Amino acid sequence: MDLARYRAALRAWLDADADADTVADTGAAPTAADDLNRRVVRTRRILGRLWAADLGRWGWPERAGGLGGSPLLRAELGATLVARDLADPGVLAMIEVLAPTVIEAAPADRAAEWVPRLCSGAEVWCQGFSEPATGSDLAALTCRATPVGGDPATASAFVVRGQKVWTSLAQYADRCVLLARTGPPEARHRAITAFLVDMDDPGITVAPIEMVNGAREFAEVFFDDVVVPADRVLGARDGGWDLAMRILPYERSTCFWHRIAYLEQRCTRLAAAAPADDRAALALGEAVGAVHTLRARSRATLHRLAAGETLGPETSVDKLLVAAAELATFDAARALLPGTVELADDPVAAVWRREYLYSRAVTVYGGTAEIQRNIVARRLLDLGPEG
Amino acid sequence: MDAAERALLDASVQTAVADAVARDVPVDPVLARLGWPAMLSDEPEAAVAAVFGALGRTGARSGALDDLCAHALGFAPRPDLAVVLPAFGGWAPPGTVTAGTVRVAGLGTARAATATDLLVATDAGPVVVPVGAGTVTPIGGVDPAGGFHAVRAEWPGVTPTPDDGRAWAAAVALGQRAVGHEVAGAARTVVDQARDHARTRIQFGRPIAAFQAVRHHLADAFVAVEGLEAALDAAAVAGTPVTAALAKAAAGRAARSVVDHCRQVLGGIGFTTDHPFHRHWTRLLVLEGLLGTPEALLTDLGRGWIAAGGVPTLVDL
Ligand SMILES: Cc1cc2nc3c(=O)[nH]c(=O)nc-3n(C[C@H](O)[C@H](O)[C@H](O)COP(=O)(O)OP(=O)(O)OC[C@H]3O[C@@H](n4cnc5c(N)ncnc54)[C@H](O)[C@@H]3O)c2cc1C
Repeated sequence: MDLARYRAALRAWLDADADADTVADTGAAPTAADDLNRRVVRTRRILGRLWAADLGRWGWPERAGGLGGSPLLRAELGATLVARDLADPGVLAMIEVLAPTVIEAAPADRAAEWVPRLCSGAEVWCQGFSEPATGSDLAALTCRATPVGGDPATASAFVVRGQKVWTSLAQYADRCVLLARTGPPEARHRAITAFLVDMDDPGITVAPIEMVNGAREFAEVFFDDVVVPADRVLGARDGGWDLAMRILPYERSTCFWHRIAYLEQRCTRLAAAAPADDRAALALGEAVGAVHTLRARSRATLHRLAAGETLGPETSVDKLLVAAAELATFDAARALLPGTVELADDPVAAVWRREYLYSRAVTVYGGTAEIQRNIVARRLLDLGPEG
Repeated sequence: MDAAERALLDASVQTAVADAVARDVPVDPVLARLGWPAMLSDEPEAAVAAVFGALGRTGARSGALDDLCAHALGFAPRPDLAVVLPAFGGWAPPGTVTAGTVRVAGLGTARAATATDLLVATDAGPVVVPVGAGTVTPIGGVDPAGGFHAVRAEWPGVTPTPDDGRAWAAAVALGQRAVGHEVAGAARTVVDQARDHARTRIQFGRPIAAFQAVRHHLADAFVAVEGLEAALDAAAVAGTPVTAALAKAAAGRAARSVVDHCRQVLGGIGFTTDHPFHRHWTRLLVLEGLLGTPEALLTDLGRGWIAAGGVPTLVDL
């Protein structure tokens, strides 16, 4: 399946789709919570329908239940859905990050069982990395997975105890890709193991956290002696760090293409709402310029991925450009729609407000802007160690 | 041309231009020996990237932009033909024709000093007039080494080659991409200079590259150049005036960001003529406005999108 043919087939399918559920709904939900619920439900529904129609299966390997083909097809799919307001880029991003993790690290038969459930929207998964005392310094995590019987190499199960925080979509999630400590804290990144945990296991409590924009997108997740079978280890025991690092660049490829579609869609809304004066024109131009530079960079990254290259620290550049583009887009919203974010209560304003506030998180999640600069300095500019 | 061939071309042009600069001999004959501007017809993308990237990296003065614009306007480039560029900051054709008389006020490159003819884009199409039709005055300005000139001329009895403005739009787009590559080359050199300085300058008993504030300045500069190069590649792929203008706007923004971050890393030496940084800094001040400042370009594009009520997809996957 080549990209042009896929694009045409996808668009034709969406254009002809008579299901009212898949028709874009741009009306604003009354509350932030309703809004998030709706975005999650809508995303799952369209993914399910596209999976059933096979269009959702392209770009995922055949051994994982997909139809094969380039990851560009997945990039195109998500971007098209987001541009049409049919799917939420944040929900899609979780899939783009976690499905490759499982494909890379789970036994083949389990990957073939799990990946289709995730990619078809039948299940929602979350990523349990951050902890109250462990954000940027992920290697210091303390959530413990104790091998039953004491020997991690032979244990048939692990008992998980500890807490995660800022876990996006945890309250919707069926499963969690969890990083937990399987050795002494001094061993830092050498004693961390990745697990795929069922969120309905006894001992798991999810406590959603309200964000500044009113949504409860992430949660605290408590693990109180949760028994996880050893066949739920992803990758090697004590190899969780390697896995996380290997997967990290994939957080910065296809899902960025989806995010670009979202930002461009918002720029288009701004163009439609903006006054015809030069101040507005420049503010819009700055935003589109920043998003375009990001698009150009991300396009090159995706083509490298599609050509089979291994992505690495250079994707920190992409992350910093995403931050610049998202900040610029919502700075433009404030400039072009004065008072909307700050003091308007109509439903359209509520969406701009929520999204403006959320946009400020772009320099924090997925590795902060400072951590990305540290990586650029050390790995790309070869400046030697800090300090 | 595949990636390896392009890398080879980039390297050979870079070596030859750097050598000419080191020996203080004119660059244009060196470029001619390498096949410029003939290669504009066969491999325009690779040629523009290699030649203007090298000019930017070395800070050489050249008439390559004249050749490029002449080519895009449908005229055969020659060493004695200078193209009148738009006034600083803009991209409108610099000439007007009234009752058969052409009037022009614009900028010239180093080529203007030795050319015998001027190619003038006007609202009615391009015309060629003799240099004697006007005055060509060297500009000192912030970057006397850049070889820029103020060009003014008035010449009666001209018949412009009629066109619908599309040739000029194409010349501007190609010129914007070329200047963008020149900015990218200069910016790379500046980042290299600041990085070398950070690794060798010792303060508080260690190289200043150990300080996170310094590292972050360099990282931001690096990201700006990487973004610019991506925007230039996208403009080559899309081949549209809008993506060329956006690449030029990205170049202007990157120029400012790179110079500001790197000058800070260089400290006092960055303000002296002892260190080569100043040559690129002052050149970038000029290149930032050549064929459109970022503000003017982005305002113009923004106006168009507001009028259209939306932003189209500018380059596909
Ligand atoms: C909207 C949102 C969604 C999220 N979703 C998830 C999720 O699904 N799963 C998950 O596991 N986590 C998630 N996170 C958590 C996110 O990964 C962390 O917030 C992030 O890694 C930063 O950690 P922290 O908040 O503890 O900040 P800290 O690490 O404490 O950092 C605080 C500040 O100090 C700076 N800093 C820290 N270390 C350095 C250093 N070495 N050099 C320079 N500056 C430094 C940081 O850049 C930052 O500015 C989410 C966060 C947000 C905001």
